Amino acid sequence: MPRISAALCLVTALALPACKIVKTAADSDAVAVDPIAALAEQTFASQLLPLIAEKSSDVASLRTAIASGLDAAGKTHGNRGAGEGAAWNFAVKGSGKVIAANLTSRARKAELDSDGDGAADLTLQLGPVIKGTALRDVAPFYDFGDFRDQIEFAELARAINDKLSAALVVPEGDLVGKTLEFTGVVPLKSAKDAWVVTAVSVTVAP
Amino acid sequence: MNFKRRLLLSVVAMASLGALPSMSAAADTIAIITPSHDNPFFKAEADGAAAKAAELGYEVLVLVHDDDANKQSELFDSAIAAGVKAIILDNAGADASVAAVQKAKDAGIPSFLIDREITATGVAVSQIVSNNYQGAQLGAEEFVKLMGEKGEYAELLGKESDTNAGIRSSGYHDVIDQYPDLKLVAQQTANWSQTEAYTVMESMLQANPGLKGVISGNDTMAMGAYAALEAAGRTDVVVVGFDGSNDVRDSILKGGIKATVLQPAYAQAQMAVAQADAFIKTGATGVDEKQLMDCALINADNAAKLETFALAQ
Repeated sequence: MPRISAALCLVTALALPACKIVKTAADSDAVAVDPIAALAEQTFASQLLPLIAEKSSDVASLRTAIASGLDAAGKTHGNRGAGEGAAWNFAVKGSGKVIAANLTSRARKAELDSDGDGAADLTLQLGPVIKGTALRDVAPFYDFGDFRDQIEFAELARAINDKLSAALVVPEGDLVGKTLEFTGVVPLKSAKDAWVVTAVSVTVAP
Repeated sequence: MNFKRRLLLSVVAMASLGALPSMSAAADTIAIITPSHDNPFFKAEADGAAAKAAELGYEVLVLVHDDDANKQSELFDSAIAAGVKAIILDNAGADASVAAVQKAKDAGIPSFLIDREITATGVAVSQIVSNNYQGAQLGAEEFVKLMGEKGEYAELLGKESDTNAGIRSSGYHDVIDQYPDLKLVAQQTANWSQTEAYTVMESMLQANPGLKGVISGNDTMAMGAYAALEAAGRTDVVVVGFDGSNDVRDSILKGGIKATVLQPAYAQAQMAVAQADAFIKTGATGVDEKQLMDCALINADNAAKLETFALAQ
């Protein structure tokens, strides 16, 4: 019953712009057993982070692999998101000198020069707002077919991003000029896409 | 109007022909049923499906339900009576359409849904929909950036009976609500309609003179809203739409509306016809019923490459 009433409330909330979701005891119970949040909780630290660490290629070798064909590189090193036209997602690790950084945005980012030519060639997402679904889509064990619909699947991506946002420790102070070491995931729809890496760990190189 | 009347006549003609056994000797027909072609998005769907069907050697029966579930039900009756081999459908309501699709299935006619989902599985053979949630997140991220992460904004919602209205709104808020300095001051449906959006925008603006941005559930409403803003001398307000229509493309290129999200309507309709063809010939499509297609952000950087709901590479 609580599940049904929660679902009805959700439907009503979507249909009526003015409707506010008022939490009741029953709803709180429903939230406590939210299967999506539970799945993120169960898998984030125990499966997802180890997968990213284990699968991560270094930036230079991944760029080389992708240059000779994104699909081939994806099949070997990456995992594709659900649906026609979805991105390949690659676990990646590397380091680079920070050329520019925006740490005042809610979606903080640092632009890194990873190949030493003086120009920024990849962007690190540093939260707290984490965009995209790269963390979900890099993992073959999250399968769209197991979810009710695109909303539920999207909720999983958000729950995972929120887990990361809470766990990610971003070095303090001005980052420009420093060298950062990172591990993360980069989603690419084409070999020409700019690299925006969702970082799962960032440290200042000694 | 003439065009629609001709279609209706052709339905009648098909229906009477359907009763004759000689019908089976004629080319197989695929019915293409969508909302009104007044919205170019639906016209692109119908055009894409018709082109693919012709390429595969089918006759087509193009019909519009005007988002009226009763009319849709009648069109299904006509299509069934006409003995079509498959129905390509952009439906008139997630709940209300289940019965119509079931009716066709019971008559041995498979349906292939595009754009909008229905609330039942196992009734249609395919449901190919844009990843509206992913697309809404893209649009919202661009909106947040254009707004400088702060300020008052309004939201125009789509038609309530259409699941995409709710999905897009959820996707927008999933992103925007993470920015506490962005304040939603007005939220109202304009039922996907350009004229309704114009009126709604006028009253929203009157009540909220400090408005900095408008995020819209589709492009036709974005066009209506921008026209109202222009009339009020408020072209400084950031407007972001959804669909990727040529109208909004032109507005973006002129510096009016700032961004939209492309749904690959043309390609989606073609995919549905290809699957219908496979199903007719082999009894299976080889793919899952529910299929997603990713959307793409359109802004001043790539708007010039957009044409009829397809982005040139």
